[in-house]
Amino acid sequence: MAVVQRESSAGYITRAPRSSGLADVLEILLDRGLVIDAYVRVSLVGIELLTVDLRVVIASVDTYLRFAEAVNRLDLRAVDDSKSVPDLFEKGGEEVAETKTKGAVEGGMDAIKEKIGLGGGGDDDDDEDDGNSRSRSRSRSGNR
Amino acid sequence: MSRFYLYGITRPREVPERLREQGIFLIDREGRAAVVSELDEGPVEATRRNLLAHADVVEQLHEESVVLPARFGYILESDDEVLELLALPEVEQLLERHERTCELTLKGTYEESVLAEVGAALNPLRDAYRAAPSVEAGIALGEAVGEGLAERRARDQALVLDKLRPLVLDVLTSEPAGEFAAFNAALLVERNGVEAVETQLEQLAARMSPPLHFKLVGPLPPYSFVRLQMPAVA
Repeated sequence: MAVVQRESSAGYITRAPRSSGLADVLEILLDRGLVIDAYVRVSLVGIELLTVDLRVVIASVDTYLRFAEAVNRLDLRAVDDSKSVPDLFEKGGEEVAETKTKGAVEGGMDAIKEKIGLGGGGDDDDDEDDGNSRSRSRSRSGNR
Repeated sequence: MSRFYLYGITRPREVPERLREQGIFLIDREGRAAVVSELDEGPVEATRRNLLAHADVVEQLHEESVVLPARFGYILESDDEVLELLALPEVEQLLERHERTCELTLKGTYEESVLAEVGAALNPLRDAYRAAPSVEAGIALGEAVGEGLAERRARDQALVLDKLRPLVLDVLTSEPAGEFAAFNAALLVERNGVEAVETQLEQLAARMSPPLHFKLVGPLPPYSFVRLQMPAVA
């Protein structure tokens, strides 16, 4: 039993040895790192282009309406058996009522896509997907 | 006279060939070394390519031994400036403190089903919205969901950090980005303590997932724990 639990929990952990996405790197390199103002010069252009829209906060009417719609759509009774969703999924998830598993299925897919570097989770967290390695070959050097 | 772009500070050692080919080299002074590359005139552009290159250099060097990663964009105007930087006592203290540390970044994110859990307590508002889906009713419901989510977030962050704190040297949390983000934390860990964090995380996932997903990145150089202003640790 313990083994099964372990396996199912592993699906909810995305593990990366190094920072890969631009979002990871931005937070780390612009917010953190050695700050040594007294001795060296910061010489930069282009930061403003990258930091715009990095943060999405819950404050807008738009967000509230989307939350309302989502709560309306999700079957609240699913809460009672939400812990069993992974089990159902293993036994053939497609047979389970769509409304109940949608979140879990999508989340699982995102994690998988992220792992194999395909990205494309979609929603509001585009920065994250944006930085996966396949993007590096894409030409984004308009401001060079 | 040469100008140098600064990636970070490390101990003197051999630079891996792959980095040497990119023009990365060390300038040493008394057991400390700046990781630099030569730079032409002009500022450094904060392009995706340059940012990823900076991270790649410090992360690759960190695999072998200590690196204090510099914030992106620092330029040293001469050899003298490099040597002056390396002479700072704080630099030596940080190198000693991080001799065997690494950073793990941990992000928690919810899948959408968290809204069903949060919304379960909000039946009257949801019924009102269902009966008459006006903008007002939607905002009232959505605001309540947002509040519920904020409480859930605080609770989950506290639970996760309580479990991890005994395994780490230091923690730094920051505001998570995104509607479904739960928390962001940088964990300072002994290099040989990474596995214990992973194991604990599996236990947390067994308990909290779904709807919570975790993303653990590292071992990274201690990006979040290299403030020069920070008092020296004995």
